[in-house]
Amino acid sequence: MKKILITLLGTIVLSSCVKKNEYLNNDTKSATTVPASALFSYAEKQLADVLATSAYNVNIFRLTAQQWTQTTAISESDYDLKLRNVPDGFWNAIYINVLRNLYEANKLTLADATLSTAQRNNQLAQINILEVYAYSVLVNTFGNIPYTQAIDYTNTTPKYDDASQIYDSLLSRLDDALSKLNANATGFNTADLLFNGVNEITSWQKFGNTVKLKLGITLADVEPDKAKTAVEAAAANALQSNADNVSFKYQTTTPNTNPLWVDQVQGHLIDYVAGATLVDLMNSLNDPRRPAYYTAIDTNSNPKAGDVLVYKGGVIGKVNTYNKYSTFSNTIAAPDLPSVLADYSEVEFDLAEAVERGYNVGGTAAGHYNNAVTASILSWGGSDADVSTYLLNPKVAYTTATGSYKLKIGNQKYIALYNRGYEAWTEIRRLGLVLPLPPNQTSYLNRFTYPITEQNVNQANYSQAAAAIGGDNIATKLFWDKN
Amino acid sequence: MMKPILFKWLALFTFLCPFITLAQQQVVHGNVGDQQGGLPGVSVKIKNTTRGTITDGKGDYAIKASNGEILVFSFVGYNNLEIEVDRVTINATLTHNDKQLGEVVVVALGLSRNKNELPYSAQTISGAEVNTNRNTNVLEELSGKIAGAQIKQSNDIGGSTNIVLRGPKSLSGSNQPLFVVDGVPVDNSSDLELGGTSNVTQNQRNGKGGYDYGSPGADVNPDDIASITVLKGAASTALYGSRAANGAIIITTKKGSKGLNVTLNTGVQFGSVDKSTFAKYQKEYGAGYGPYYDPNTPGSHFDYTDILGNGVKQLVVPTYDDASYGQKFDPSLLVYDWRSLDPTSPYYHKQTPWVAAKNDPSTFFVHPYTLNNSLFIDGGTDKGNYKLGYTRSDDYGILPNSSVGKNLFNFGGSYKLTDKLTAQASVNYTQTAGKGRGGTGFGGQNGEPMNLLQNFREFWQVNVDVKDLKDAYFRTQSNDNWNVKSPTDLSSAYWDNPYFVQYQNYETDSRDRFFGNVSLDYKLFSWLDILGRASEDYYNEFQEQRINVGSVVTPSSYYRLNRTYKENNYDLLLNFNKAITSDISFKGVLGLNARRQNINSISASTNGGLVIPGLFALSNSVNPIDYPVEEVDQKVVTGIFGGATFGYKDLFFLDGTLRRDQSTTLPEKNNTYYYPSIAGSFVFSSLLKDYTWLSNGKVKLNYAEVGNDALAHRINEVYDKSTNFGSEPLYYVSTVRNNADLKPERTKSFEAGLEASFLKNRLGFDFTYYKNNTINQILPVSVSTATGYSGLYVNSGNVQNKGVEVSVNGTPLKSNDFSWNINVNFAKNTNEVLALYNGVNNYQLAAYKGGVTTNATVGEAYGTLRGTDFVYVNGQKEVDATGHYVFTNNSNNNIGNANPDWTGGVYNAFRYKNFTLSFLVDFSHGGSIYDVDMVFGLWTGLYPETAGLNDLGNPKRNSLATGGGVILPGVHADGTPNTTRIDASQNQSAYGYQTAPNKAFVYDASYIKLREAALTYSVPASFVQRIGAVKAIDISLNGRNLWIIHKNIPYADPEDGLGAGSAYQGVQLGSYPNVRRYGFNLKFSF
Repeated sequence: MKKILITLLGTIVLSSCVKKNEYLNNDTKSATTVPASALFSYAEKQLADVLATSAYNVNIFRLTAQQWTQTTAISESDYDLKLRNVPDGFWNAIYINVLRNLYEANKLTLADATLSTAQRNNQLAQINILEVYAYSVLVNTFGNIPYTQAIDYTNTTPKYDDASQIYDSLLSRLDDALSKLNANATGFNTADLLFNGVNEITSWQKFGNTVKLKLGITLADVEPDKAKTAVEAAAANALQSNADNVSFKYQTTTPNTNPLWVDQVQGHLIDYVAGATLVDLMNSLNDPRRPAYYTAIDTNSNPKAGDVLVYKGGVIGKVNTYNKYSTFSNTIAAPDLPSVLADYSEVEFDLAEAVERGYNVGGTAAGHYNNAVTASILSWGGSDADVSTYLLNPKVAYTTATGSYKLKIGNQKYIALYNRGYEAWTEIRRLGLVLPLPPNQTSYLNRFTYPITEQNVNQANYSQAAAAIGGDNIATKLFWDKN
Repeated sequence: MMKPILFKWLALFTFLCPFITLAQQQVVHGNVGDQQGGLPGVSVKIKNTTRGTITDGKGDYAIKASNGEILVFSFVGYNNLEIEVDRVTINATLTHNDKQLGEVVVVALGLSRNKNELPYSAQTISGAEVNTNRNTNVLEELSGKIAGAQIKQSNDIGGSTNIVLRGPKSLSGSNQPLFVVDGVPVDNSSDLELGGTSNVTQNQRNGKGGYDYGSPGADVNPDDIASITVLKGAASTALYGSRAANGAIIITTKKGSKGLNVTLNTGVQFGSVDKSTFAKYQKEYGAGYGPYYDPNTPGSHFDYTDILGNGVKQLVVPTYDDASYGQKFDPSLLVYDWRSLDPTSPYYHKQTPWVAAKNDPSTFFVHPYTLNNSLFIDGGTDKGNYKLGYTRSDDYGILPNSSVGKNLFNFGGSYKLTDKLTAQASVNYTQTAGKGRGGTGFGGQNGEPMNLLQNFREFWQVNVDVKDLKDAYFRTQSNDNWNVKSPTDLSSAYWDNPYFVQYQNYETDSRDRFFGNVSLDYKLFSWLDILGRASEDYYNEFQEQRINVGSVVTPSSYYRLNRTYKENNYDLLLNFNKAITSDISFKGVLGLNARRQNINSISASTNGGLVIPGLFALSNSVNPIDYPVEEVDQKVVTGIFGGATFGYKDLFFLDGTLRRDQSTTLPEKNNTYYYPSIAGSFVFSSLLKDYTWLSNGKVKLNYAEVGNDALAHRINEVYDKSTNFGSEPLYYVSTVRNNADLKPERTKSFEAGLEASFLKNRLGFDFTYYKNNTINQILPVSVSTATGYSGLYVNSGNVQNKGVEVSVNGTPLKSNDFSWNINVNFAKNTNEVLALYNGVNNYQLAAYKGGVTTNATVGEAYGTLRGTDFVYVNGQKEVDATGHYVFTNNSNNNIGNANPDWTGGVYNAFRYKNFTLSFLVDFSHGGSIYDVDMVFGLWTGLYPETAGLNDLGNPKRNSLATGGGVILPGVHADGTPNTTRIDASQNQSAYGYQTAPNKAFVYDASYIKLREAALTYSVPASFVQRIGAVKAIDISLNGRNLWIIHKNIPYADPEDGLGAGSAYQGVQLGSYPNVRRYGFNLKFSF
């Protein structure tokens, strides 16, 4: 009896023992190997998303550029970055969602023996151009950031690099990537969601040169020589027309729609109205793009059919009643509105500026300026007639518009960069446009403060960086901001 | 001394004998207990006869006896007690057997040990202490009764209960103790813990929206509990190996006793919201954020629109704005409010006076009540015993349409197959069904449910009458609402009609659970038992969440989660019990344990909205649904262990254990690990027998190391999947990096204690000092996200908890008719983070709105709150030239800590004849709460602080020109007091987050509560006898959470948290009010 019992129980217990540990601990529902292209596609979508979204814990640049302003929850319009941890949201989206996956794609591409050298080089170049783009966004937002020690989990407290040195590195990486692109082979082909395999490599050559042009012109006030070299080298090879515009094309069904549509249209938010700063400027110029940008409203005291509708923006940094102001247009509200990463209009604005700065890029400032304005109006659905009328407006025409070249180009570029809040904010700072301050502020938002998480988990490097840039506050100007 | 007493009794007995035999026999019954309550299994005999019985699971007995006969109560470990029969109800209180055997305590693995032998601290409470109150959640009933247990309960219906013994040890884990029922582990992981690192649960952890599905440990039937032993230190739990590093709660269920016993309980409880824990509203000013509206209206506080279509403009309340910084109420001012915009309302297109609502949001709460009925049958013979129980409970919560119902079935039995072989089985089946649980945290985004409490506490118009909202909803069953976007767009802006939320967007959930075990015990020799045991804990959970068409949260959606949890344990135990010499005793155990755990879940949700409103099915999705999320977690742990206890003359005891575990969740090279423990005790009272005032005295000393493995899937890297973009697949790197070099966690624990009792156990205390260090913790250490990861799994840290626990029990008064027992628990724990990962000096646990984070910082206690602070000048708050506070730019200032300084409870029980009155006061001192409800509630002008008069006697909200405004207390940089009056008339002016740093919203979490009280009356037997078969009737009145005697946080219950799990402590957001409960229970014994 007892022998049977012991044997029986012993068998139950011991048969349950583990023979192959790893087997049981495998995550049987997740992939352990994936193609590099799937990570690259993901990173492209994430970069497009973070630039397109209007989620106020990630991207508030439409507010800081005063294209929009808030109705009741006015903290972000008032430069309160802490309430919703905005810097954390934006920083994480780029480091974790974009750069981490590009790094991984790079690693897998290098290890992929099935690729031809030409295709591998093309893919590596595509990854690198996107990485340069993403880092430039971070630098232009924060100043000094972790770069040489970033995306390395073995170093949990990466040091911050000097922003201008990061720029140097980005420019040389860009040159290296551009030199590797070979139009006789493909890259990620249809997995490249920016161009979907159409004229793939030539498109990337133009995109890469446009990024180089943008980086170059950004340095113009601080390192004119470097700026001149980069701009002159890139000018002829950048985007040539609106047909070359680089954008991420969303689909009409969730979850692959434009995140702006998800938040604002699907979410039925009434948190934002048009910002008076941009609306007033466009009204003063009778700008033909207004219907594409904003809704027109009836401001008569007793509204009735047949009233003249107008464009009216809310006061920046104050409570605004949703129903009393224009809001974003149906164009902006489309679920498949593309997220623009670079367009021909900004290239021409940069070239106009380059001419004014004496760089050898061909053409005249006025010519490039007119090209830029034309491209913008047409891309927003305006007609050739709209363009010619607008360019004849003495407040618009390059020769008669008032102010320095920076102001003239700046104002039009500011208008053209509607719905590209990050780019608009960067150009406002770079070209020295003066925007009204919210009531509680004494300085424009010249940069984002560092994420609160960095204060808590990377404190020594954070403190060093804060000291190096002149203090971790919103008034501190970035190294290229000499206005 | 014994002899004279005995002689006296004998003489009396002999004298009475003739009368007794002639006397009419009657049923005598009563309850036998000790200071802790009823004792099951006590032998009750009629002296000098063979007649006898034993007490049932609650300590009740009934026996036929005649007046004058002597009842002899005897039980191992207690002094015999003899009472002459002179009435039909005879209750008896047994005292511990001085200087002999102590009480028997169930310890690790279901082993029992005499309390005197125990070289570590183990606190036991009786079943009566947890089931007298008829609370449907047994976990809450531990509150205040266990020294060193910090218990936080959620006030939402069926919400989770967070239990931490001797301070938080694990930086990222749950810190909750292991739950063991009859020797078998029973899962108590909260939904959030099972959900692991998924985005949903991470978001909830950081204060975002979700539901609190409660603690599965509440599936244990309180009516079935005989006793609960809490093992707090590692030495006591080392035999459990990997999983009891946070201590263990050992529950022993009732066993059948001889004869046939039937107990029927029927109870009802009513509740009411404790007003001191809910928002109070200012009643002077109505809707709006300030003077931002039409300048042609009073105070620029209204819209001026023609809503009637007659060409005339009307004063229209800004319905879309969720704040109360508007126009001063004035009954003579007639306005059009939300009701006048609703075509179904009797007020449609009608003006109404501008007044504060009669019914504020506190009237939204309905009276909660609980029905709780149970039937227990038990019985036994010489061969075996059984018990069979069924409990049905229905809890109805404070939110309309919310309920949690439970069916609990319990069966247990043992049978002696032969003289040597005993078979035992226990089967429990529980069903829990919840509906309409309240949302938690900051909901309403990304498809998360709304938290109505956040609505009521942070964003509200005090002119809105809840009664009108109720009428509006029930008129149309649709979202007719106060917070409409405009007169022409009646969709909701930020908040739904709360009735719509509870009746249309409710969740439902169910858990069907089976847990039980079968065992065979074979007595091989008189000194050796072999026990084989197989057990299973299995449950099936189903959760459904709904957002109907017409809600603020868009798109409408339906989400469902199915999860099964299964754990099997197979144990083989060899129990030794043999005296080596007449002086040296030996008890030992050798065993094998195999554990298999499998968690399997699938969840899916509609995409892009619901096609047909009100149809909550995945197929009713506007767009094709996304991939369901599947998770499979498996774990196998095999353990071999042994332990030995040596005793010398009942004077010295030495206990040692060693366990070896092998776990599949660790890398193969590190997956085998050992836990040793060594413990000793010295019963000094055995040497001091001449000191009769000393009943018992013992010192104890122990050291142990226990450890823990990892969660499943923490070793290998995997990629996560995102929805395909067209035909292109999207994958991404997991945001938390795994680690192929993980080692087991380890807790090193030292404990020293002194226990003594005096004056025949009338007074006793138990003092324990402990220190434990948890090292090599496996945790997702948060790192600079510039690494590309939000966290890395590492072995990290050294968290130290040290402290003292004192429990004192006494019987200051005792006579046949009257007794008073008192039990006091006190504990102080000091927590310090000694080290973190590789030079990292701070680990961020969670981040909340406003930039406040919960942290573990080297050199500080776990749970430090960080955020912006005031700037101080000589200890006073600095104010700038404009009269506003200056605050720090950085957000890493220490602004508080979630841990209490000390906790405790005082339990009193008075017995007078058939009445017993007991009550428990518990308290917690220190600790902080960051109150997000105040951050926003002040900003939107809801609370009385934002209205009323200023120091000049003028309304604060008047303009500065008319004598309004306030002077913030503080000083200028040069130390001179602030004298500048600032505007207080709108949201951005004087109160709320824009004008004060995070520190301003950190409150002291201390409290003193009258936790429970019960008055029980045992109906006299003379009356009971008339009701046929009934042996006893007990009537009790009970109450719970009756009175918050003291607290420092305004408008809230300092205990309410965001849910179970350590990172949640120290913050309140949309917090639920405390509910006072009053109950009535009838207990019949047959």
